[in-house]
This record gives sequence, structure tokens and C-alpha cells, in this order.
Amino acid sequence: MDYVHLRRQAASLRKGLFDQGYLDEQFYQLEDLQDDASPNFVEEVVTLFFRDSARLMANIDQALDKCVKDFNKLDVYMQQLKGSCTSIGASRMKTDCSAFRECCRDENIEGCMRSFQKIKREHSVLRQKLESYFQLLRQAGPVECATRPNK
Amino acid sequence: MASSQLVKVLIVDDDNFTRRIYKTMLFRFCFEITEVEDGKNAIQQFVDGNEYDLVLMDKHMPNMDGVEATRTLRGMGIPVKIVAITDDASSKDTFMDAGADKFLLKPLTFSMLTDILKSFNFLN
Repeated sequence: MDYVHLRRQAASLRKGLFDQGYLDEQFYQLEDLQDDASPNFVEEVVTLFFRDSARLMANIDQALDKCVKDFNKLDVYMQQLKGSCTSIGASRMKTDCSAFRECCRDENIEGCMRSFQKIKREHSVLRQKLESYFQLLRQAGPVECATRPNK
Repeated sequence: MASSQLVKVLIVDDDNFTRRIYKTMLFRFCFEITEVEDGKNAIQQFVDGNEYDLVLMDKHMPNMDGVEATRTLRGMGIPVKIVAITDDASSKDTFMDAGADKFLLKPLTFSMLTDILKSFNFLN
């Protein structure tokens, strides 16, 4: 297997994530924390992020489905999601979360729905790209020693 | 300082991965770390007689938010250093009035954490 090629693919995918605005400099912070003591730290944290954010988004979906919209509750959920996005460097999602919160403040339910659909799309795309990235890193081993963390 | 030379830190945040990030940062200093998911559990740690040197406190959490937890700890006479870490910039005054020692905006970076630890003389 051509490990050099795989590493180049991984590097290119990673660069694309930054160039296209999916990730910001906070992701570098996470990469800086990865070391021999925590060799899979970034992938573990990313996995936790997608698990937590999926749960939050399910709560938001439920809240949006209700006949009577509780904009305060929606705003609280979205603030949590935005905080998570900030911590991991998910830049586009963070921006979309802010847009959703603006709609909550305006009590604009259609705006909330549109924003939330965008957030779900961005979440899905980011998840796919990062999963591909980590898969490439694993395949490109053994230098990177990328292994799937225990779940 | 808590009784022993080891710095004891309590992480209070409802995000699993945020706690994971803070833990990884703090492990570099060989601190003793405890984590809880909300303000109510943070209070319980102290009620149970645990001692900490530092609390990293999020704001928005279920059961009890960070401001209320901070206020409660100060009301109990707990002198622990409390650093509020949140992306809610508007909560700074509220947190400081509640008794927080420092207020930081998320995301917490390693250099921000190091600066805070130095300011509290936790790094020798």
C-alpha cells in the first residue's frame, strides 16, 4: 500500500477543511494536545463531539416539532451546540448556530427551521469529511499509529 | 491549597468532549482531576468533603448553571479559585458578581490555561 500517497491524501483533505472554512484554528489546538500519551486524542474528541452534538440536535428537532415553540429553550439548546462547535473548531456550524439564535431572538420560526436544516447539513458534511480524514490516517500508518479508539 | 502538594482541579461542564479537552490539557501538569456534568454535582463534591484548588466552571448546564453554582460555593464559604469558562460573553459581570476569580471566553487554549495557572501560582 502506498503510505506516502495516503498521507498526502489525508493532508490534502485536512487542508481543504480549513480552506473551505469547515474548521478554524481551534482544531490546531486539539492537534497540539495529541502526543504519545494521548495518540488518538483528536479522533476521540471528534467522536465525542459528533455523539454529543447529535443528541443536542435531536433535542432541538423535538423542540421544533412541538406546536408551541419555546424560543428560550431552543436558544439554550443552540447555545450549548454553539459552545461545542467553538471548542472543536467547527467554524461553519458555529456561524449557523449564531444565525439560529438570532432567529430565536426574533421569534422567527421559519428562520429557525431554515437555519437548523443548514446546521444539520453542515454537521453531516463535516462528519463525513472528518471520518474520511481519520480513516486515511489509520490506513497511512504505522508512523501515525492511527487506531480506532475504544467506544 | 488543598491538603497535599498535588493541585486538585474540578472540571464542571456538561459537554463530554469539552471535559476531555480540559483533562488532556491538565494532565500535562500532572494535576489531579475530577469532572462533573453540572453545578449541582459540583456543589455536592464540596458537601461530600472534597477539597479542590481550582474549579473550571462552564455557564450553561442542566440542573444548576455555573453562575448559581459559583454563588452557592461562595455562600458556603468555599475559597477555591473559580475560573468561569463560557462562550457567553454577556455573563461576565454576572459570574464575577457571583464570586468567580477569572472569566474566560471559550475556546480555552493551552496558553490561556497556562497563564491562569501561573497567575494562581499553581505552576512551580
